[in-house]
Amino acid sequence: MVVKQIRNGSFGHLIDRLIDCTVTIACWSWFIFGFLLFFSWPYIAFSLFSKNPEIHFQKLNSLFYRFFFRILKITAPRQKIEVDKRVAAIKSSVIVCNHLSYLDPLLLIALFPKQKTIVKTRFFGAPVFGWIITKSGYLPATCEGRFSRMMIEQMETMATYLKAGGNLFVFPEGTRVRNGKIGELHMGALKIARMHQAPVHVLQIRNSDKLFTPGRFLFNTRIRNTISVKSIDCIEPDYENEPPSTAQLARRVRQSFYEKQI
Amino acid sequence: MTRDELKDKILTILTEDFEFEKPGLNDNLRNDHGFDSIDAIELLGKIEIILDFSLTRDEKEKAMEIRTINDILDYIEGIVQSRNKQPTSV
Repeated sequence: MVVKQIRNGSFGHLIDRLIDCTVTIACWSWFIFGFLLFFSWPYIAFSLFSKNPEIHFQKLNSLFYRFFFRILKITAPRQKIEVDKRVAAIKSSVIVCNHLSYLDPLLLIALFPKQKTIVKTRFFGAPVFGWIITKSGYLPATCEGRFSRMMIEQMETMATYLKAGGNLFVFPEGTRVRNGKIGELHMGALKIARMHQAPVHVLQIRNSDKLFTPGRFLFNTRIRNTISVKSIDCIEPDYENEPPSTAQLARRVRQSFYEKQI
Repeated sequence: MTRDELKDKILTILTEDFEFEKPGLNDNLRNDHGFDSIDAIELLGKIEIILDFSLTRDEKEKAMEIRTINDILDYIEGIVQSRNKQPTSV
């Protein structure tokens, strides 16, 4: 009873903020110290000695973010993450997903050991992070200047990558959507799916924004929250006999999002 | 292949495969038809089929500067000319 009164008062609010702050610092510290202590060495080793560093970098990325979510789970026990079994089984596909929070790409990287995505070009210039996403074979969002060669190289190997079980995931709305409406879909990934005759999986992430709300620095760990990743549609067109247009694929994706009221 | 024949083939590809509606030779491909770098790479694959040879990475990179259908035609003619100028190895 007393504890409840304290937590409901301003002192309780302060404690809540302190908990949020501690969890946030613990998680973001992993980005610096986890990388420096445990991950920088294998990244460097694969960069120097592997014939195919791309695939190793992707696996390391996935492992790095799995640890991140493990830390989150331990430090913020009210947060649960539920992943549809069908999601983990996805391979050789283009994956489109709604985008609520900065946690979304981290979650998808953690879920898929072979993963590529389309990244804003300014991130390729960032120290360390830019090196990692380049070596991981992620695609630049635009194709100007030095990025044209990068895009051509990536597109030349995309067919082999997808056939080998790799996934390309994107947030087709391009940016986080805060008002609950579906933004205009960027066609790039759907064009790649059509070009390489890959199935398109439509995923729905829910509640990641409740933990890490856009515009806020601290995680909101006090509420009970379940972040879920569900497969809401799998589009497998008959590419041989009735190849769909990119616009048709986009319409189907929008329809899936609408039906689930994203 | 003449420029007119080439133009017909490119227009057919753009209307059938890229769903262009009434493309003009000087339309801005990006602004008027939503043609982006991924489309450009797909188009290069089709140009390779027309030309019956593979383009080098440098040649593909040059294609990223294309803005109009006339640019595409100039680009293809430039590639063909430069290939014809190259000495044949014995």
